[in-house]
Amino acid sequence: MKIQITENLDVDVEARQWCCHHCGTSLGSADTNYKQGCLVAAREPDEVWQPHVDEQVTFSYHRDWCRLVEFYCPGCQWLVEVEVLPPGHPITHDIELDLDQLTGPVEGAR
Amino acid sequence: MTVQTHEVDEHLRVTPITISPSTMIEWTKPEPLSPLVRRCVESLEPGDYEIYDEKLRNFLEEAREVFVRSGVTGMLRAGDLIVAVYTANGDLANASAGTYLHCVTAVLPVKFVMHKYFTNPSVGVRDGDIFYANEARYGGIHNPDQMAFMPVFHEGELIAWVAALTHNPETGAIEPGGMPVMARSRHDEGMKLTPIKVGEDFRIRDDMLDMMANFTSRAPRMQAIDVRARITGADRLRRRIVELAADRGNDFVRGLLAKLIIEAEDATRRRISRWRDGVYRSSAFIDTIGPKSVLVRGTLAATKQGSEITFDFTGTSPENDGPYNCFPHIVAAHAAVTMYAFQFHDLPVSNGALAPFNWVVPEGTIFNANPDAAISSSPMVNSLTVSVVQQVFARMMFSSEDRDQVTGNICCQPCAPLVAGPNQYGVPLAEVDSAILNTDGHGARGDRDGVDAYGFAYGHATRAPDTEDTELEQQFLRLYFRLRADSAGAGTHRGGMGTETALCIWNVPFAVWTVYAMSSYLPVTLGVFGGYPAASAPGISVHGTDVLEKLRRGDADIPRDSVELATRKAISGDYVFEHSNRPVRPALEGDIIVATTGGGGGYGDPLARDPELVARDLRDQAVTEWTACHVHHVVVDPQTFAVDENATNAEREKAREQRRSRGKSWDEFHADWEQLKPPEPVLEYFGSWPEGVRETPLARF
Ligand SMILES: [Zn+2]
Repeated sequence: MKIQITENLDVDVEARQWCCHHCGTSLGSADTNYKQGCLVAAREPDEVWQPHVDEQVTFSYHRDWCRLVEFYCPGCQWLVEVEVLPPGHPITHDIELDLDQLTGPVEGAR
Repeated sequence: MTVQTHEVDEHLRVTPITISPSTMIEWTKPEPLSPLVRRCVESLEPGDYEIYDEKLRNFLEEAREVFVRSGVTGMLRAGDLIVAVYTANGDLANASAGTYLHCVTAVLPVKFVMHKYFTNPSVGVRDGDIFYANEARYGGIHNPDQMAFMPVFHEGELIAWVAALTHNPETGAIEPGGMPVMARSRHDEGMKLTPIKVGEDFRIRDDMLDMMANFTSRAPRMQAIDVRARITGADRLRRRIVELAADRGNDFVRGLLAKLIIEAEDATRRRISRWRDGVYRSSAFIDTIGPKSVLVRGTLAATKQGSEITFDFTGTSPENDGPYNCFPHIVAAHAAVTMYAFQFHDLPVSNGALAPFNWVVPEGTIFNANPDAAISSSPMVNSLTVSVVQQVFARMMFSSEDRDQVTGNICCQPCAPLVAGPNQYGVPLAEVDSAILNTDGHGARGDRDGVDAYGFAYGHATRAPDTEDTELEQQFLRLYFRLRADSAGAGTHRGGMGTETALCIWNVPFAVWTVYAMSSYLPVTLGVFGGYPAASAPGISVHGTDVLEKLRRGDADIPRDSVELATRKAISGDYVFEHSNRPVRPALEGDIIVATTGGGGGYGDPLARDPELVARDLRDQAVTEWTACHVHHVVVDPQTFAVDENATNAEREKAREQRRSRGKSWDEFHADWEQLKPPEPVLEYFGSWPEGVRETPLARF
């Protein structure tokens, strides 16, 4: 049985595995960070926000201060999650479920 | 310091705590139910709670209206306020609020008075007393937020408390505006009143009013009028509660107020129970501590188990010698602005809703600073709290029936321009531009885009005042005030758009101005589940301009937005581009200040956005061609806005191909990533990298 945990992530309860919600590709053990099972890329702010002036502030963000760290499903390349981090900053383990409690859908859940 | 509790009836007792800025948060938990109050709750008849809950809400709405109509500051008129009713021992039972911040913090001065002064013969609590407070060390947010509160007596018994609170944008600090960016310690921040009695026998003492006007002599009129407005609002509520007691009895009032708290706690626990147990984490970053552009981190680990949630802020940046610091109850207040407005929006606004929450806020961090720290910009540094709390709730709630409440971040990068000096009628004024403050974008949802210019994350029901009103009263003319293209976080659904304005100093020879803002170098308003953050806020101003002549001539090239202003430069003058947080400086007539709010955070992969929605956004100038192409990879005719489906599919396949080629395995990625580090000036206040632990002692005088 799979339980949907976010827009892009399921947990396969019996296999205790993270899976891509869109294509079913396994993203590794649900005991660990699903990001470890993703393809990871750090993108420059100017790839996402257009700089309009060549000044101290540009209308985009600054590469000395941040990157967009993107996590893609290796099966379908879906953007599973994106994190704003200063360059080199550790990645967040954002969801650590109590797997023993994860036996089925909670009442009323979709 | 502790009172002899055995002298006080049990239902009037407040749990004794050590009074300090780092422990006031303990009073956010409801007091234990006394036998008397339990009997009062049990004696309510069927229907009493339902009917009188509604009646009480009408009292609150009436008192709020009286409050707003009695005052003058723009923040009050924009809705930055609360009118509240408390139990006799200080628990919040219900409120009408434009901002939920004070649902947490306005509890604490009431409990302080009951704890310290109720049995103290030199102060005491008597019918007709009027108390006042604006000191964060005793429970407030920061000293611009001033609160009037009154005990409610009927037939000689203390049965409740009432309060009215709003922001006053002048405190007599080292800078005008109440949030002095250059403050180095609490001693730079102006008037700070511990909970104090300012009136007796239902009369305000003139000596107290004179003292406050003297403290705030840059704009004494606002202070003198709005103190009265707060008291007028609170007293209207007090009179309605007394009428209710006369009608139904004191025990009825006690029972009703307690029941609101019990119901709120029960419902909050039921809701939390239906979310998945686990630990949910988020880190967010801001790029300023006021006087300096430096990196600051807010870190939250939320452990949800059964019906309880523990918020642990370990990992948050060390406190600093600027005003971007606060105390734990202020962090709880900023968590509550999200909780009362969204997760628990349909419950009584009572501190029963806070009962399931436990707080770990390490001392020495920006969230639990030294008692002498400057904290007047506490709402600014708590943009971190507003961001990370929204992030953890999104992850906690998705897999439940509360999924509809999940959004990308509501914009949490405040932008508040403040202009001070005599206005065109010669009246001294120091006033925030609430129009720009209260038009942030809302976060995107799972099934639709966020609401454009919805309001203010810290004040869910605040609004932009009328533009003509602000131009009449304040020292500027607006060249433009509009939705800002590309301001929202992209996603399958985009955040709501934020706004932009250019304020031209007008009809006064000069003024002094400042802008409280952030997110020029990195975003704090985050998306969820692949949605992108909101756009950067550039700090732009133009000095020594020819705009007055251009307006007189009727020139057609007055800029219509900030990109046009900054790139075409149709207005001549000295253009300044800097971080959007700008300390106080003077301006002459014709100088231009640009201010921008953020959009909301995006939701889901931008590559999965319906191409027709991208075309619609392009037509509506919500996004530019650049974003349609580079972020959404949609091919659309810029004249007809027709989508080329085949070309779009091909572009998106190419984009997925690029993801495949730039994406690395976890280990491979870390081999490169761990070599990177922000430059030293960026990390000046961060502490050790990347732990964020203070390495040098902080000197504060
Ligand atoms: Zn996939």
